Amino acid sequence: MDAIKSDTENYKNLLKHYIETRDEQSLYGAEQISKSFIKRKIPPEEIINLHIQALRELYPDLSEELQISMNFLLESMIAYGLTHQEFQTLREKQLELKSEIGVAAGMQRTLLATTKPVIEGLDIGVVSVPAHQMNGDYHHFIKGKDGSLGVAVADVVGKGVPAALCMSMIKYSMDILPEEFMQPKAILENLNRVVERNVDPSMFITMFYAQYLPEENILRYSSAGHEPGFFYHKDRDCFEEIETKGLVLGVSADAVYNRYERRIEKGDMVILLTDGVTECRQGHRFIETEEVLDVIRSYSRLSAQEMVGHVYKYFERMQHFELRDDFTLIILRRNV
Amino acid sequence: MNLEINVKEASNQSNVILSGEIDAYTAPQLKETLLPLTKTEGQIVEVNLEHVNYMDSTGLGVFISALKSTKENGSQLKLVDLQTRVFRLFKITGLIDIMDIKAAIRGGSE
Amino acid sequence: MSLQSRVNIQKEWDIVGARQVGRDIAKKTGFGTVDQARIATAISELARNIYLYASSGQIYFEVIDNINQKGICMIAVDKGPGIDDISQAMEDGFTTSGGLGAGLPGVKRLMDVFDIKSEKGKGTEIKAIKWLR
Repeated sequence: MDAIKSDTENYKNLLKHYIETRDEQSLYGAEQISKSFIKRKIPPEEIINLHIQALRELYPDLSEELQISMNFLLESMIAYGLTHQEFQTLREKQLELKSEIGVAAGMQRTLLATTKPVIEGLDIGVVSVPAHQMNGDYHHFIKGKDGSLGVAVADVVGKGVPAALCMSMIKYSMDILPEEFMQPKAILENLNRVVERNVDPSMFITMFYAQYLPEENILRYSSAGHEPGFFYHKDRDCFEEIETKGLVLGVSADAVYNRYERRIEKGDMVILLTDGVTECRQGHRFIETEEVLDVIRSYSRLSAQEMVGHVYKYFERMQHFELRDDFTLIILRRNV
Repeated sequence: MNLEINVKEASNQSNVILSGEIDAYTAPQLKETLLPLTKTEGQIVEVNLEHVNYMDSTGLGVFISALKSTKENGSQLKLVDLQTRVFRLFKITGLIDIMDIKAAIRGGSE
Repeated sequence: MSLQSRVNIQKEWDIVGARQVGRDIAKKTGFGTVDQARIATAISELARNIYLYASSGQIYFEVIDNINQKGICMIAVDKGPGIDDISQAMEDGFTTSGGLGAGLPGVKRLMDVFDIKSEKGKGTEIKAIKWLR
């Protein structure tokens, strides 16, 4: 009550001063008082009432019509006040949700964490950035007992929380697969059955799984409808799309996947990605695949990790720092 | 960008003509129109994508659920006149092998 | 307790009538202009809900005057379809009237006491009190 009384007094004095001098200082005062009202959640009708009180005290002979018109304004403000309060509550709720998602995103990072293994003779670079807080892309490295390297790159339809939940399922399913099943073809066929049983009919996942055998410098791979990656041939300085066939995971329980194999020469690269890379947009224009490859080539003197970092920065900047889709890029390069 | 959906019904065939972009925002709308059409046994649902210049994975998801529904209900789904970019999406994901799809350009990848 | 009034709500016009009755009682009870406006707005929302969803019902007004407190109590009663999910109806940002209505959360904000009982297929009873300070 005291606060309101001092508000009345303050407001009245400011108003009086302004009517007398019409100076900017009183208006600045009005701005300050208005901010303090907002801070203390005073609704607009209360402010109008303050104005009415002040007017009455300053001009006791105020015409009745004017007084009634002020009451009319007060009545008109009630709904505004309510809506404002509603927005306020919704804003608080939004912050709450945001922090909840933040916690979930942290959990997801821990859950899906994968460390880039050290493989003799192989330079590995990886970048994976979600468009929103949670990542619908997934990548995973597994170093086998036989010294081989397993690399998975996956993308789930949609983004955000539902996509992230789905990804956790993939991660669990991969974790429980015994090592002898860690062949690309077997992994995809296993995961396909899990996904097919457990997701909504409109949900699906694309995945590329590769296994690199450092002893023989051979890459074995299979793809479940995943955005094709590229081989880079050092001797000819050219890129070649990794051609594969295979249905996305989750559509048909009995899908079978082809097995492919390729020898990797010294200085050659394997580029794996998700459509967040190839579907970058500049304004309304989609970038061409050539452009992605040109950018990769332009950084090819750097280490694999520096390369992916620079490529990401390049496209992040081109899209004005607003990713439309989760972005994952992995580069493997045979050094020796 | 919006998606315009027009449906023309014949005796046992529904022609769905789409125009615009199919993405996370417009996909639910498409799903609402397309799925009920696939529930009738013997119905042929032909979707024309000539004027769809962009589709993302959410759009693919709608066609996948429609395909699953045709299998459950004994109806048929056909996609015709796909633009190159959209066709590529069906090709990469392996869906061209299990769906009835025809690209717009003759001699396309099919 | 004293002074009970009842207003029937059937036509949109009755909303205005209910506001008038409520405002007169509020004024007599000693509420200031701001609270009168709030009470009238709350009545509007209650009456509108009856008019839109139940097609007919009543609003009862009562002046509460005991040793500790003085105030106005309003009870809106209808035999309409009832509210299926009250928690949802009380949630901000959820308005079935599909417009700028303050809805039930608005009434709750405008008044000091708010209580709602509803059964699907039987009707709804909403009680709201504003205390005089």
